[in-house]
Amino acid sequence: MDSPTLSRRSLLHALAAAMATAAMPVSWTEIAQAAQDVHAAGHAGAGAGAAKLSFLTAAEAADVEAVASQIIPTDDSPGAREAGVVFFIDRALATFLSQLAGDYRAQLGDFQAACHERHPVAGPFASLTSEQQIEYLKGVDQTPFFNTTRVLTLLGMFSLPAYGGNRDGVGWKLLGFEDAHVFRPPFGYYDRDYPGFVIDLEKIK
Amino acid sequence: MTQTFRDSDTVDFLVIGSGAAGGVIARELAQAGLTVVVLEQGPRFSLRSFRHDELKDWYLGGLTNDAVKNPQTFRNDGAAKAELQKFKPALWYGRGVGGGTLHYTANYWRLHEIDFIERSVLGAIPGTGFADWPITYADLEPYYTKVEWEVGVSGLAGASPFDPPRTKPYPMPPLPVKSSGVLFERGARKLGLHPIPAPMAINSQQYRGRPACVHCGFCHGFACEVGAKASTLTTVIPDAEATGRCEVRPDSYVSRIDTGGDGRVTGVAYFDRDRREHFQRARAVVVSANGAETPRLLLMSANARFPHGLANSSGLVGKYLMFNYSSRAEGVFEHELNEFKSVQVTRILHDFYNSDPKRGHYGGGGLDARIGPQPTTWAIRAAADGRSWGSEYKARLKEFPRSMQVASHGTSLALESNNITLDPDLKDAWGLPAIRTTYKDHPDDLANARFLRDRGAEILEAAGALRVTKAEVAEQASSVHLLGTCRMGNDRATSVVDKYHRCHDVPNLFLCDGSSLVTSTRGQPTMTIQALAFRAGEHIARFAKRGEI
Repeated sequence: MDSPTLSRRSLLHALAAAMATAAMPVSWTEIAQAAQDVHAAGHAGAGAGAAKLSFLTAAEAADVEAVASQIIPTDDSPGAREAGVVFFIDRALATFLSQLAGDYRAQLGDFQAACHERHPVAGPFASLTSEQQIEYLKGVDQTPFFNTTRVLTLLGMFSLPAYGGNRDGVGWKLLGFEDAHVFRPPFGYYDRDYPGFVIDLEKIK
Repeated sequence: MTQTFRDSDTVDFLVIGSGAAGGVIARELAQAGLTVVVLEQGPRFSLRSFRHDELKDWYLGGLTNDAVKNPQTFRNDGAAKAELQKFKPALWYGRGVGGGTLHYTANYWRLHEIDFIERSVLGAIPGTGFADWPITYADLEPYYTKVEWEVGVSGLAGASPFDPPRTKPYPMPPLPVKSSGVLFERGARKLGLHPIPAPMAINSQQYRGRPACVHCGFCHGFACEVGAKASTLTTVIPDAEATGRCEVRPDSYVSRIDTGGDGRVTGVAYFDRDRREHFQRARAVVVSANGAETPRLLLMSANARFPHGLANSSGLVGKYLMFNYSSRAEGVFEHELNEFKSVQVTRILHDFYNSDPKRGHYGGGGLDARIGPQPTTWAIRAAADGRSWGSEYKARLKEFPRSMQVASHGTSLALESNNITLDPDLKDAWGLPAIRTTYKDHPDDLANARFLRDRGAEILEAAGALRVTKAEVAEQASSVHLLGTCRMGNDRATSVVDKYHRCHDVPNLFLCDGSSLVTSTRGQPTMTIQALAFRAGEHIARFAKRGEI
């Protein structure tokens, strides 16, 4: 759980560690404040009021969420459903990506109609079995509708939680991305014991 | 920010654009004692407003032109109708005081001596506008040094056997190496190549009142909230303002440059933030609006005397657009690299910089080790066995901390058929004609991109990658490097500005930004744009003082 309290504590912890070891004459209080501002903005309003739809209808949202859940499925770790991706997509189409909304609704309608033609008795895409959904998507995963849904799903999965997706930072946890603002070397396994750069004296031809 | 000058004042210089070039030129002119107004179409951000917000800065135009207010059309065939780009504009540039230096990666390589004389050395390439520059490396060297010391560049002089001569070392040591840099260095040395610490315009220690990098990882596409990455907003623009002779006017969108009966520029018309139109008078104008907006403004400024656009007697305004090509090979390793931390690049190499006829194509470039984009864009590009969704794809996403790429930065040939024109139908939010881009990579550019990518893949293999993937090299339909569209040269029939960036056709109009470049560089143009700007600023100030404008 990526609660603001914990994050702030880990941020301050990182800063304290940096201060303890750094000989850099910079203003750490200012850097800490900047980092704090960045963090607070990213998490403001996370999850709040995100369960209401403002552009998609309930039926549309069910199908979009079903497609998103095949793009990032739920298995031993959370997927697009748990990240709240459909609410992110709804908000995006209603507000900051509204220029895509008209085309997207039309493409979604075509997708639903074609799916109904293929599975006339099974009901909408969302009501198909997971195997049927995967099978169906394999045939349409190069269409504009699928591509747009995929990009929106990934934006919803990994953007700041303040936009309504990536709830509790589940997208970042999946990637192993750390939501911190100050890092110190070594950064990874391979730079841990780096001996320092030595100029290669072997001359070129 | 209070206004220093009124529209009715005739200032010595108007500088249009406050990015890599505009900021530098404003400082050089103001410090030389001249009065300057800088018009910037975007807002003036405070460092405190910068966020680690990939959605906003990469997809919603947080720091850049966006697809709604600044719509553009694109086509790769000059006979086709150009299509509206609804999600992201084809040509992407910085919009805000600081311009592209707010969100750039800050790779600061110098050009080599060969870049300026390549046409003479290699000979003509039929069907292209391949040409020598009107200046040489020796002409520009003092200004490269000036950039390194005035703006602040971290690096290690003498590390690369390919580097051109330099008069001073870097003012700061290199930034700490990342795991990608260690692996790149290991792999490259196994192959007999010469990796070096990357020169970056990012502070490795406190420099000129700005702090050292805190390694947050948000350089590429983001603005630095602590000011460790150099931008004109935090370096030369405060210097310019400190003279008391320079006013930077944000939210000022220039629509037209006017000329008088004598064919000289009299000033420019612009919209303020409330879309009220103003006219600022000036004795001379410098356009540093970037390789897309500079030619667009000249084309929009056509009048009875200049029917094909201002300063366009050559017909080359907007032509010879060059993007550079950045191809990549990706590697996954056994242990964590955590490339999302710290600056993008800590090691590069220039072994393949020069063009070599044995390769069968024109071109060359540099390679560097990096993560590439931050999480969302990384995930959008990722795929597992060709599929970019589903369980296997999700498993691939978990490799994020163990992944890196070797990115190539290569040449683009100048072609007249690659250009910027005014869209005949589409208008922007101010009612001005939208940018229409026509672009198709030259076959040599694509061959070079594949060649460099394959060298990158070999380095990853040699470094012990568990898996190496070569990203497809396909024709480009967008770019952030906007070069060559008002090229410099000695011959007024084949260039737009002279070697001091003065328009051949209009004596008190200067152009300096990516549009001035004659060849494409090897994919890291900003350092060179700033060196040109320091040089241009010095000469333009001298002309002004001698009454030669």
